[in-house]
Amino acid sequence: MTSVPANQQQASADPSSPTIIVSGDGDRLALTGTLEIVTLAEAKNSLKKWSKQGPSRMLDIAGLDSLDTPGALFLCGLRDKGVELTGIRAEHRALLDLICELDLKPLPKVESVPRWRQIVIQLGKGAHDARHETLDLITFVGRAASWTVNALIHPSCLRPASIARHVTETGIHALPIIGLMAFMIAIVIGYQGVAQLRPYGGEDFTINLVAVSVLREMGVLITAIMVAGRSGAAFTAEIGVMQTREEVDALKVMGIEPMQVLVVPRIVALVITLPLLTFFADIMGLIGGAAIAQFQLDVSPTQYLTRLPHVVDGSDLFVGLFKAPVFAFFIAIVGCMHGLRVSGSAESVGRETTRAVVKSIFLVIALDAFFSILFEKLGV
Amino acid sequence: MTTRTKAHAEPILSAQGIVNRFGKQVVHDKLNLEILHGEIIGIAGGSGSGKSVLLKTLVGLHEPDAGEVLLNGKAVQSIVAAERAALIGVLFQQGALFSSLTVAQNIMLPMREHTSLTGKEQEQIAAMKLALAGLPADTGIKFPSALSGGMVKRAAFARALALDPKILFLDEPTSDLDPIAASGIDALIRQLNHSLGITVVIVTHDLTTLFTVCDRIAVLVDRKTTVGTADKLMKSKHPWIHEFFHGPRAEGAMKARKPSHGN
Repeated sequence: MTSVPANQQQASADPSSPTIIVSGDGDRLALTGTLEIVTLAEAKNSLKKWSKQGPSRMLDIAGLDSLDTPGALFLCGLRDKGVELTGIRAEHRALLDLICELDLKPLPKVESVPRWRQIVIQLGKGAHDARHETLDLITFVGRAASWTVNALIHPSCLRPASIARHVTETGIHALPIIGLMAFMIAIVIGYQGVAQLRPYGGEDFTINLVAVSVLREMGVLITAIMVAGRSGAAFTAEIGVMQTREEVDALKVMGIEPMQVLVVPRIVALVITLPLLTFFADIMGLIGGAAIAQFQLDVSPTQYLTRLPHVVDGSDLFVGLFKAPVFAFFIAIVGCMHGLRVSGSAESVGRETTRAVVKSIFLVIALDAFFSILFEKLGV
Repeated sequence: MTTRTKAHAEPILSAQGIVNRFGKQVVHDKLNLEILHGEIIGIAGGSGSGKSVLLKTLVGLHEPDAGEVLLNGKAVQSIVAAERAALIGVLFQQGALFSSLTVAQNIMLPMREHTSLTGKEQEQIAAMKLALAGLPADTGIKFPSALSGGMVKRAAFARALALDPKILFLDEPTSDLDPIAASGIDALIRQLNHSLGITVVIVTHDLTTLFTVCDRIAVLVDRKTTVGTADKLMKSKHPWIHEFFHGPRAEGAMKARKPSHGN
């Protein structure tokens, strides 16, 4: 299909599919068949050279059975190049008139920015955003804290029904997954402990390792990360959807402060549930330790229980549980803050939810590092 | 212009014995509907009368509990995806433009998927569809979030026309639009039907659209359709249909119809 069309060219071998046939020679050609989007490439190929041979050529389209808008656009293009269209059927004329009269302009090009400039711009934007995000977070922490304290001073402002619902959703419904994860983390630590300590004959210390790390760090950390992914994201999505449906604005118009009805109950509920969940995770972690002791160290559960008070004490439990409400406060705050930042469109709900989860997990781990240093200095 | 024969006798789409039920609630009970080649048909009905479900059934998105929908004589559910895309265009109520793509990319998406045209040719066709839908070319590089309500509808129109469908379904094309934008959409529907010969099915409450644009109207009452021209339906004895065509809003919309009566 490289030369000027010969007498007949078949667009496709399949007889059932629409075809376009170019016939005739020299200055006069005729199109028969279907000139639609599916046969357009074929027709263009066949007529490419012919149409460039200058003016005073004629194309007969009386044999066209069907014509669609891309086909008409192609014919209009030929007409603009000086090709005369003859034998236009009545039912094609309206379409051709419509398409040829359209004021067509090519799509404007998007200006591309050089890569090195893009990087600089990204850096600048990132720094600018980071500053604003930090300021926003600090402001929001302050506002949320003041509203929470206000609600605690005036208990009539607390919404027990709402708090109870959130306690159920963030706490009771999370029990199975958190229990399972704590149990498995304990087993992971236990296996590593046994493998590393056995060459030195100290595999019995695995019990200390599991118990201390679960109570001080792993129990609370796993719980907080799980809750951040589960409930923090849910807070953002719930409030975000309310924001897109203008429910938050409706509250403000009614003179009800969104902070009081949406944010405070969630903070209070999470501050109640996260320590309880952490305690549950601690218990499950210790049970995981018991399983390791039984199967890897041949220490029976009764022996394990009698050894536990000697390897851990109240301060280990306290260190873990003390961190839980602090984490809870920040997870709830970040979740609610991003929920309230949702603007209009549904896709911003997804974006803010992702940000909320990333930020709250980051905050949990950063705070945990801070607490580790703090407790180290305090000698707890 | 042309003397294109309006509405051939044979239907392009026919729904026979459609039954749709959700739980115990029966929405459509042995509903029949024939849509003729080249006509503009309006589907009207009260809120909750099952207009949207009917639309989804007709385009093959929802499988009815009984009955079948024939498009060009073939069951709509059995038509392969590429062929169905070339036959049916749908304008969804909220536009349903993909928010991560520009308007031009939205229009080119079905072309990229179902044709072998080069990128440049696709862009030319997309620019033509934009112009056809009455949008300036620079709309093409914008994202849907940057468009006004009326422009979203027009852009969605352009995308629905991407593969030059034979039948175009419009779900509430004039809802949420100001009267000027709504009239513009009405004129666009008429123009496309006239010049491209597309069969148009409009699901709407908008009485002005029903009176000024549609050749025939199918009213969904009592889980079935009553089909006829506006004039015929106005004489209907059915209380709901009577109320629909003789309420205070209908009287106002009727006035809009008068000037276009001679055409």
